[in-house]
Amino acid sequence: MSLLAPAQAALRDDVPAYTAALDRWLAEGPSALRAAARPIASYERRVDAMSELMAALYDAGWSRFGWPEHLGGHGGSIVHRGAMWYLLARHGVPSMAVFEHFEVLAPTLAALGPPEFVAEALPAFLRGRETWAQGFSEPDAGSDLALLRTRAVEAGDGYRITGRKIWTSWARYATWCLVLARTGSTESRHRGLTAFAVDLRAPGVDVRPIIQANGTDELAEVTFDDVHVPADRVVGDLDGGWTVAMHILSHERGTYAWFRQCFLYRDLVEHVPSSPGVGDRAAGDALLDLAAVSATSSAALRLHAAGATLGPRATITKLLLCNAEQSIQDLVLAGDGDLAAGRQDDEVAVLRQDYLFSRIVTIYGGSQQIQLDTIAKQLLALP
Amino acid sequence: MSTTFADQDFLSVSRKAVGASTGSDALVTLGWWDLLGELGDPEARAALFALFRAEGLELGNTCALGALTAAPYMHARNDNGTVVASIGRQSMRGGRVDLLVGDTAVDQILFDRPGIGAAIVPASEVTMRPIDISGRLAVHEIEVDAARLLPSIDEATAHVARAKSTFLGRLAIAFEILGAAEAALALAIEHAAGRVQFGQTIGSFQAVRHLLAWATTDCAAVESVAVAARDMYEGAPNRFDQVVKALAGRNGRRASERTLQVLGAIGFTAELDHHHFHSRVLLLDTVLGSSTELTVRLGAWLRDARPDPKIAYAVLLGATQQEDPLTTDVDRRELREQMR
Ligand SMILES: Cc1cc2nc3c(=O)[nH]c(=O)nc-3n(C[C@H](O)[C@H](O)[C@H](O)COP(=O)(O)OP(=O)(O)OC[C@H]3O[C@@H](n4cnc5c(N)ncnc54)[C@H](O)[C@@H]3O)c2cc1C
Repeated sequence: MSLLAPAQAALRDDVPAYTAALDRWLAEGPSALRAAARPIASYERRVDAMSELMAALYDAGWSRFGWPEHLGGHGGSIVHRGAMWYLLARHGVPSMAVFEHFEVLAPTLAALGPPEFVAEALPAFLRGRETWAQGFSEPDAGSDLALLRTRAVEAGDGYRITGRKIWTSWARYATWCLVLARTGSTESRHRGLTAFAVDLRAPGVDVRPIIQANGTDELAEVTFDDVHVPADRVVGDLDGGWTVAMHILSHERGTYAWFRQCFLYRDLVEHVPSSPGVGDRAAGDALLDLAAVSATSSAALRLHAAGATLGPRATITKLLLCNAEQSIQDLVLAGDGDLAAGRQDDEVAVLRQDYLFSRIVTIYGGSQQIQLDTIAKQLLALP
Repeated sequence: MSTTFADQDFLSVSRKAVGASTGSDALVTLGWWDLLGELGDPEARAALFALFRAEGLELGNTCALGALTAAPYMHARNDNGTVVASIGRQSMRGGRVDLLVGDTAVDQILFDRPGIGAAIVPASEVTMRPIDISGRLAVHEIEVDAARLLPSIDEATAHVARAKSTFLGRLAIAFEILGAAEAALALAIEHAAGRVQFGQTIGSFQAVRHLLAWATTDCAAVESVAVAARDMYEGAPNRFDQVVKALAGRNGRRASERTLQVLGAIGFTAELDHHHFHSRVLLLDTVLGSSTELTVRLGAWLRDARPDPKIAYAVLLGATQQEDPLTTDVDRRELREQMR
């Protein structure tokens, strides 16, 4: 089914109507939805199932809402996207998997990327074909990101990039990587950085998956050995990489919380009540934690829809999201010994992966300590 | 984060009025009484609830809470003057106690008895016993001759008004707790920037900075749910008033504790206002359902009914949406069974 132009215009201007129409579509139980909603222990197969679902949503037009028309979207705002993922969670999809980067990287690509390139890359991403990774962290540049050493030097019709990135989520599934590289001197710290869209299929790129503590292999180490990047793949300005990174972090710490919390409701309602070790008070507390994320993050979505950005206040949303995720997963684990003892079926395996993952959410996107210090410095003006 | 410039204007005007006056004068200065008749208007609601946040920040003592909670039963200002609602609470030691919160310079007091109906009694016929605690908020335990409690508002009418009154009261208290917690936070931030130990301001120690950052986060969470409830108003999802009030009480207490830790011993004295803010939070937390009580109730609801809380969706579209457009009520367990 493809949407006709008048219907498209109506849904673009009316999120409740869009939601109701998509809800009906999902309620009919398209096969791609059913496949993606099943618990799948293998991360690779889960990504396959999600890619199929993304293709179906794109073909039917649903995932094009919320993206500008000149980039292949149907128009509308981030609130459309917020509604779509809310519904997908409600209809049983367990997580966004690699498509979390729709809401971490794509908004920045759309806002600051070279338009011609993004007009091709974004639809390919939305279709579930060519996914993206984020190459910021390095072995010696974790919390202190401005120390990063990967270099980009001008060479003829573009740049050549050399360096090593680590903890690059989903690089082994990705076609593209948004790489933050140094174009100025090391002393220039955050002022001498530039963001590049790098093709991971290019010669000189090596992606090595990292097996995580929860058994999946989402993370990777990526090395770039004199990799050629055309000049028109610079995202943002030359030496303006820090601005690009901050734009991404405003989404990764702020609006992204909305998308992740949609799935936490499912855990809260589905798994917590049946946990024998969980009392009413703890369950209620978890609901409060979650309500706080819903309210702050939905406000963030509306703010972005109105053209503003969250800036340092995104840290608050990130802290609340981590609180909610950890308190809910605490309860999921509390009542379910199978998770720790590891019964071997897909449902338990996924729950166990999610529980273990919730222990590290206070690290990615900037550690909890870094978020707290950002609040102290930027919002409270402490020294 | 979800407050607008208009919100900030309403707040600063309210703070000025509450800070400059005693008793309920500020309500007249602000034209607040007129807002009670305009609850359907989002902007009027924003101005109306800004008053409560200002009361928390400035330790005000108006009769606004009683007036707001009386409004759904009747016009809070009728020909016989100002009417405020008393608020019942269950004492572990004394059974049901009726409280009058705030300024006592009122003309009539409404007593609502669930299952029976509501009565309106002239204030002169009510015995008031002041509760002596810090917080600069007048609180009285009140008593009235049982014969005076014959309902003049029948149970059917009172039943409808009660739910609305409780919603409004919980929301107002959440805003007031927010204001008090924010004021405690402001005190602690100021202290951290000025107090020197080990040759540096204590605000340069990460442990202190993080306490303040968490307190900021506690307050931001309350603000966001309270503003969402205020904007959604009658479109708010089931039990959202309980969520708002429980979160306000819980986070208000947390923020008070974190800021006290930053203040050190001086924070535990009558000299500094922190104890007033803290006591006000504790007091307001017990009114119209404590955070503990409401949290337990919400948890029981979650565990027994396995509801779809719909909070997320409602807050996403809250400002524009009155009706729930979702046609299918997804039963996830059923869905999962099908998938197997
Ligand atoms: C699941 C996961 C996915 C990730 N995905 C990506 C990705 O896709 N792309 C990417 O670029 N990166 C990614 N990262 C990396 C992530 O951004 C870093 O791990 C993070 O910034 C912290 O760096 P680090 O691990 O080197 O820890 P470190 O910086 O070494 O910190 C270790 C500990 O020291 C504390 N610490 C450090 N500095 C301070 C300070 N100044 N004050 C107080 N405490 C401090 C930290 O809080 C932490 O507890 C991911 C990480 C994880 C866990």
